[in-house]
Amino acid sequence: MPPELEANPRGIPKAPFVDNVELFLTDGQVEPTLRKFQEMISKYKYMEVHLLQRQKALETKIPEIKKTLDTVDLLISQKDAEEQMETSFELTETLWASAKVPSTKTVYLWLGANVMLEYPVEEADSLLQEKYEKAKTSLQQVEEDLEFLRDQVTTMEVNTARVYNWDVKQRRTRREGPSS
Amino acid sequence: MSTVELVPKGEEVDEEVTWEDQQNINAFRNLNDKLESLETKYDDLKREKEYLDDLSTELELADEDELIKYKIGDAFVSLPLDKCQSRIESEQAKLSEHVEAMSSSIADVHDKMAKLKAVLYRKFGKSINLEK
Repeated sequence: MPPELEANPRGIPKAPFVDNVELFLTDGQVEPTLRKFQEMISKYKYMEVHLLQRQKALETKIPEIKKTLDTVDLLISQKDAEEQMETSFELTETLWASAKVPSTKTVYLWLGANVMLEYPVEEADSLLQEKYEKAKTSLQQVEEDLEFLRDQVTTMEVNTARVYNWDVKQRRTRREGPSS
Repeated sequence: MSTVELVPKGEEVDEEVTWEDQQNINAFRNLNDKLESLETKYDDLKREKEYLDDLSTELELADEDELIKYKIGDAFVSLPLDKCQSRIESEQAKLSEHVEAMSSSIADVHDKMAKLKAVLYRKFGKSINLEK
């Protein structure tokens, strides 16, 4: 028995599966069915485009969070150092400057939307850890959704092929007339 | 994503596709996609590992008193040689672990794909194409 029309955890509807072409088509004709299938395939592909964009955005964000996290960890390890840390940083593209960073107990985190907040180093560390984990979970969910979507598209494509083939066979049988 | 090809006239098969078959087809396609992305990531990891190995070889010849600019985040930090080397070592250890996990996942996927191929070809014969 094909499963009922359900949705995955993020609300993407499941594609119907055509078990037996003849039974499936008794209430409809081939043309509108094929058209409906194509419509569903385009809807799924549209969702896929969106998900791919989200995936790309997350794949850029995650290494950035990691870099910030690494830097904060470095500052934590230098917190009790007596000497200043010598660093070279990018002032602008192709232009680097050197700086001496004294040990510090607080950092400023850029939170987006033109907002920057001061945090004690350890709090910054746990905040960034949390952000990192959340981003990784989101990415995993997006990848799961993409997999689910592709499943539905494949199912629909197989449905389309079978309905089409069945129709071709029917036409050929009709054209050749009843066999003696 | 997929291409529609015409099946030559004598080879049409009107097999019924069961839900189980559909799931096998979907699973196969899934594994195929997964394999591609795993293989790309694996190549990237191997390249990183090579860089680190070259780097640690270079550093063995470096002067002990010299401070080395080590990239953390987006900036470089002047670190003494031993600190650099211990950081590189821990990076290398993490990468090796990653590389191993990935190569066993890839082997696993290859395995599953081979099994599914056997099942699907047995049922559908020429009506299905499972090669790249």
